[in-house]
Amino acid sequence: MRVKKPDGEIVDLMTINIGPSHPATHGTLRVFAALDGETVAAAVGEMGYLHRGFEKMVEQGTYQMVLPFTDRLNYCSSMMNNIGFCKAAERMFGVELPERCVTLRVILLELSRMIDHLVCNGANLVDLGALTNFWYFFNPREQVYTIWERLCGARLTNTVTRIGGMYRDVYPGFEQEVLAVVTVIEDATTEVLGLIERNRIFIDRTRNVGTMDAAGAISAGWTGPCLRASGVDRDLRKDEPYYGYETYDFDTVIGTTGDTYDRVMVRMYEIRESAKIVRQAVARLKPGPLNCADARLSLPSRNQVYHDMEALINSFKLIYEGVRPPPGEMYDAIEAANGELGFLIVSDGGTNPYRIKVRPPCFTQWAAYPDMLTGSMVADVASSLGSINIIAGELDR
Amino acid sequence: MSAPIKPGLAADALLALLAPLGGVRDEADRWGLTVRVDRERLRQALTLLRDGADARFDQLLDVCGIDYLSYPDWRDPRFAVSYPLKSTVFRHRLTLKVLVEEDDVAVPSVHDLYASANWAERECWDQVGIVFQGHPNLKRLLNHHEFVGHPLRKDYPCQKRQKLSVNDPMIDQLTAKLIALGYQVLEAPVATAGLPLTTHGPIKETVS
Repeated sequence: MRVKKPDGEIVDLMTINIGPSHPATHGTLRVFAALDGETVAAAVGEMGYLHRGFEKMVEQGTYQMVLPFTDRLNYCSSMMNNIGFCKAAERMFGVELPERCVTLRVILLELSRMIDHLVCNGANLVDLGALTNFWYFFNPREQVYTIWERLCGARLTNTVTRIGGMYRDVYPGFEQEVLAVVTVIEDATTEVLGLIERNRIFIDRTRNVGTMDAAGAISAGWTGPCLRASGVDRDLRKDEPYYGYETYDFDTVIGTTGDTYDRVMVRMYEIRESAKIVRQAVARLKPGPLNCADARLSLPSRNQVYHDMEALINSFKLIYEGVRPPPGEMYDAIEAANGELGFLIVSDGGTNPYRIKVRPPCFTQWAAYPDMLTGSMVADVASSLGSINIIAGELDR
Repeated sequence: MSAPIKPGLAADALLALLAPLGGVRDEADRWGLTVRVDRERLRQALTLLRDGADARFDQLLDVCGIDYLSYPDWRDPRFAVSYPLKSTVFRHRLTLKVLVEEDDVAVPSVHDLYASANWAERECWDQVGIVFQGHPNLKRLLNHHEFVGHPLRKDYPCQKRQKLSVNDPMIDQLTAKLIALGYQVLEAPVATAGLPLTTHGPIKETVS
C-alpha cells in the first residue's frame, strides 16, 4: 500500500499476516502488520481462533462441572485456574477451608507458577534462537508433570480441586518429590540465567524492545509479571493476601523499563521467590482434614451414608444436583502466573451458574500488544509476543 | 509506584463518594461492593473514581455483560454491564454496574477513560450485544465477523451452529491505525486476506 509517511516520504508498505498459524505465536493469534522495510509501521491484532464458548458451556452444567473447563483456560498452569475458580465459589458459600487444604493449594499454586514461567521463558528464548534454554527448562517441568500425574492422574488438565476442598489427598512421598523438583528448577534457572543474563546477543535483542511504561500498563489493565516489569509493584499475594500469603517470606520482583528483558527477568526471579514459598509451605503441611465440613459442599463419609438417612439424602443431593451458592453476584480474583485471574459469578441460587465471566490476565496484554509493535523490527514481533505470555486457551476461552 | 499499597476507602466512604451521582449499593453483591449508577452518569462516575484523590481506581479490569432474561423474579431491566475496578494505589475494589433496557441496548463507551475498555467493550458487544456508543471500532472480538446473534444472551440456543467462511481482511483497521499515526494513504490498499473460500472451490455442505 502506497503511503506518505509523517515526514513526507512516499513509500510502499508491505502488508503481512503474522499468524494465526505461525510457530512464534505459540497458539492461534493473528497480527496483521504494515511493514516499512523491516520496521513495523503499524499492526493490528485479531483473536478468537480458539474461542470455544467457555462462558456459554459452563452455564449448561453444575458448579462442580465448571472445573474441567477451567483446566483449559491457561493450560500451562491448569491448577491455578482450578484454585481460582474454587476460591471464588467458596467465597460465595462463605466457608473456611481446613489448614491442610490451604497449604496444599499454596504448594500447587506456586509450583504451577514456576512451571508456567518455565514454559513462557523457555519458549520465548527459543523465539530468540536460544534453544538450549528450552531443554534446560522442559526437563524440570516434565518432573513436575510427573508429580501432577501421581497426584491426580492427569498431567495437563488436572481438575485437582473441588469446591470446598481437594479431589484427594497427596500420595506418600509427595513432599520429598516436591522439595527435590524445586531444587532442580532452581538449578535450571541458575543455569539459564548464566547463559542469558550477561549475554550480549540476548541483551541486544531484548533491551528497549516492546517497551511498556508504567502509566500505559496501568491504563491498559495489565496485571502480574508484565505490570511488575513496568515497575509497578503490585501483586495480589501481597496487596490482598489470601491463603495466608502474608505469613510467607517472599519478595515481589519488579523491573524498571518494562521491556522484553525486564519481563523475562521478572519471571526468572519470580521462580526463585516461588521456590521459597513452596519450601515454607511444605514445612507447614500437617496432617488433618482436607475438605471443609460444610454439608452444602462436602460429601459425608461412606459410613454415615450407610447408616444415617440424612447423610444418605445429603450425598444423593450433592451428587445428583450439585452445590447451590446463595443468589447474588460477586467478583473474585487470584494472582495467577500471568496476572489477575478473575471470575465474576452470578448465581440465581440454583445448581447451575447463571453467568460466569472469566477475566483472563493475558486479555489486556494482548489488547495492548499491537500498539507496542509500532516502530519495532519484524524480528522483535516474536520476542515481545513471547514475553507477554499470551495463552490462547484463556485469551479466547 | 513501588510504594506499598495504602489502605483503601471503606464501602461506606465509596458509596458516599458516588451518592451525588445517584449511585446506590447493589444488594446482590453481598461479598464485595457493587454500585449501580444510571448509564447517563456512568462516564461521570468512572471519571470521579479514576481521578478522585482518595479513590484512584486506575484499572478497569473487565467489562462484563449480563443478561437477566431467565433470572428468577427479575423485575429490573433485562441487561446489565458490570465494570470491576481496582486501584494500584489503594487497597480497595469496586464494581460499577449499569442496567440497560432491552429496547435501547446502549451504554456510552469509556475507551478514552481506560485503554483496557476498548477490547473489553468489543467482547461485550460480541457476546451479549450491548452497543457501546462512541466506540471507535465496535467489531466482534471472539466470534467470527460473520456471526449472527450474541451467544451469551439467554435466548441464544446453546447448540446452535453457524457456517462462517470469509475471514476478516482487517485492512480497514490497519488503514485507520496508519492514518492515526500520521500516514497519508495514497493508494487503495489491496486486501491480502479476506478472499472468500469460494475462490478455492465451492464450500462443501457438511451433513450433520
